[in-house]
Amino acid sequence: MSSWDWSIIQRCWPLMRDAAWVSINLFAWSLVLATGLGLVLALMRMSSFRALRWLSALYVLVFRGLPALVILFFAYFWVGRNLNLSPFQSGVIGLSVAAGAYKAEIIRAGLLAVGRGQYEASEALGLSKSHSLRRIIIPQGIRVMIPNYMSNATLLLKSTSLASVIGITELTGRARQLANSTYKPIEILTAAGVIYLALTTVLTVSQEILERRFRLKT
Amino acid sequence: MSIELIQEYVPVILRGFWITVRLFLWSLVFSTVIGLALALMRISPVAVLRWISGGIGWLFRGIPLLLILFYAFFALPEIHQSLMFDPFWAAVVGLSIWTAAYQSEAIRSGIIAVEKGQIEASEALGMTKRYYMRRIVIPQSIRIMIPPFIGNAINTMKQTSLAAVITVPEMTLLARQIISEDFKVAEPLLTLAFIYLALTTLLLMAQQGLERIFRLKV
Amino acid sequence: MTSLVSVKGLKKSFGGLEILKGMDLEVRRGEVLSIIGPSGSGKTTILRCLNLLERPTGGQIDVDGQNLCKELPDGKMEYASRNKLREIRKGIGLVFQQFNLFPHMTALENIIEAPMAVNGVDRSTAIGAARDLLESVGLAQWADHYPLQMSGGQQQRVAIARALAMEPAVMLFDEVTSAVDPELVGEILLVMRHLAEQGMTMLVVTHEMNFAADVSDRVLFMDNGVVVEEGPAAQVLGAPQNARTRGFLRAVRDRAPMDEEQQ
Repeated sequence: MSSWDWSIIQRCWPLMRDAAWVSINLFAWSLVLATGLGLVLALMRMSSFRALRWLSALYVLVFRGLPALVILFFAYFWVGRNLNLSPFQSGVIGLSVAAGAYKAEIIRAGLLAVGRGQYEASEALGLSKSHSLRRIIIPQGIRVMIPNYMSNATLLLKSTSLASVIGITELTGRARQLANSTYKPIEILTAAGVIYLALTTVLTVSQEILERRFRLKT
Repeated sequence: MSIELIQEYVPVILRGFWITVRLFLWSLVFSTVIGLALALMRISPVAVLRWISGGIGWLFRGIPLLLILFYAFFALPEIHQSLMFDPFWAAVVGLSIWTAAYQSEAIRSGIIAVEKGQIEASEALGMTKRYYMRRIVIPQSIRIMIPPFIGNAINTMKQTSLAAVITVPEMTLLARQIISEDFKVAEPLLTLAFIYLALTTLLLMAQQGLERIFRLKV
Repeated sequence: MTSLVSVKGLKKSFGGLEILKGMDLEVRRGEVLSIIGPSGSGKTTILRCLNLLERPTGGQIDVDGQNLCKELPDGKMEYASRNKLREIRKGIGLVFQQFNLFPHMTALENIIEAPMAVNGVDRSTAIGAARDLLESVGLAQWADHYPLQMSGGQQQRVAIARALAMEPAVMLFDEVTSAVDPELVGEILLVMRHLAEQGMTMLVVTHEMNFAADVSDRVLFMDNGVVVEEGPAAQVLGAPQNARTRGFLRAVRDRAPMDEEQQ
């Protein structure tokens, strides 16, 4: 095994750093959209209209059953081409649609975990359904959801790597390019790995902070 | 969108079906073995083993699968000549270690979830550790770990689609080729989607079946 | 004098199982009615039907002149509409066995939430009223504490204050001392006794026979979904006419031999 080449990492760092920002961008946009989508789907699932409940359940079933790459292909080749979207936009749509299905289940589980007694107490006091959801149920649901939500967010961050397959120059795609062009795959890929680990660690720390913030005072 | 085209594409895409299945099964086997080893290391009284296992788990859960696959395909051969795999086995190596990182958590949580009270009762009755692990703890752990274990397995199955990126001729790659060669998007993707949905549904049914077999009699 | 609470022919089934088999109940204004009986007799179900947390499968319920549900000529049930129901629920206070306080809000915030949201009371008025209520249940110092920082007895007293904040016409108590440590039961019963002395109309499902004897005007004994015996507290608890009532009271009292002096 030849010796480790630090200089190659130094030289490629600007390119990798910029690509990492693309990854972060993809992640942020997709997280927001997926969460919104998940919230809508979760509320649909709790609706009194059967059609809405079914649609929501169907969406979750289908989009959790498909590989993320296939969903991205749909977003890029089908939706993106038809609506003339940029690869980045298609990527965000694909990633959000895929992640939204998981967020929906996480949010739903969180809302269900809030004990029935809380719903009943709100009802007995005469609070309207929307008021009790907003002030009583969702705040408590958030506390329960945090671990699953954050671990799913971490998965989303890692799945941004798939965007390289539809031509977006994010970190993994750039790393592959550089690994091949510099003939130093070990150094480049390891560097990319370290960057990802740093990013996921940020998410893990955020999870700790959120859990502490939402902890019930005993 | 034409049905005839779909019928024409089904056999083309299904040529990759067995590759997908073999990728999945090999990865399942290896990941279970490695995951079990990691889990046992993680709960070992020897601190070094715990750290190594924890470190490996943290590492491989913190970086994207695609990066791991690139590493297996591009970087391993650089480390040592003998590590030059053909794409299929590179994919299996990558998938196995990635899945193992998650399975180790599933297995570990199953083992520690068995209540302490059971172990205390067993010890009070004079059973040896080997005996009660075998007859009391492990049977119950299996029941608890089924959902997360199968959940991970389903993920593995979906992630076999990434092998396409390192040129393994499984279903997603073949669909991708149809898109570039025939300029048709909806037909190949829908066919691909249906096949994956069928596979994941099968696995979900297997999960329910296993849960039923291991359910506690009430 | 018309009854504040009027129940006729109440039936409730869960799936195939009939819990309430047609029972009648009347509570006059200012009266305290205790409902006693073995588990599974349907006592809790009655209370939950009274504010339509459970939907009866038969019968008619009227509270304070408003109809909650009734049987139509064709046998189907008609329930109060969602908006009407919210109106009616303002007049009914329910205290749960499991307290069901909102754990992410302080005691004070728990109490002011509904008056502000439902009755449109402004914040400072609501806080003033809430502090008075906390004072009346003996928890003035605990206004800014969170439920999990308090004992079960304290939480339940906050729950009572929370229900009272809506100024209901009738208060329903669903086995409110059963989930509380024995030494904390007394403080809750004291609050309820004060309420009764102030003339609140109360329906109390309870296991506490002493409380039922001391504070209730009337007692109702239920078994197997029907009313077995009903009448003035002293009579039902002291000299029950029905053999099943006697059997139940004997079984209950055998568990607490120190209560013999209450005979």
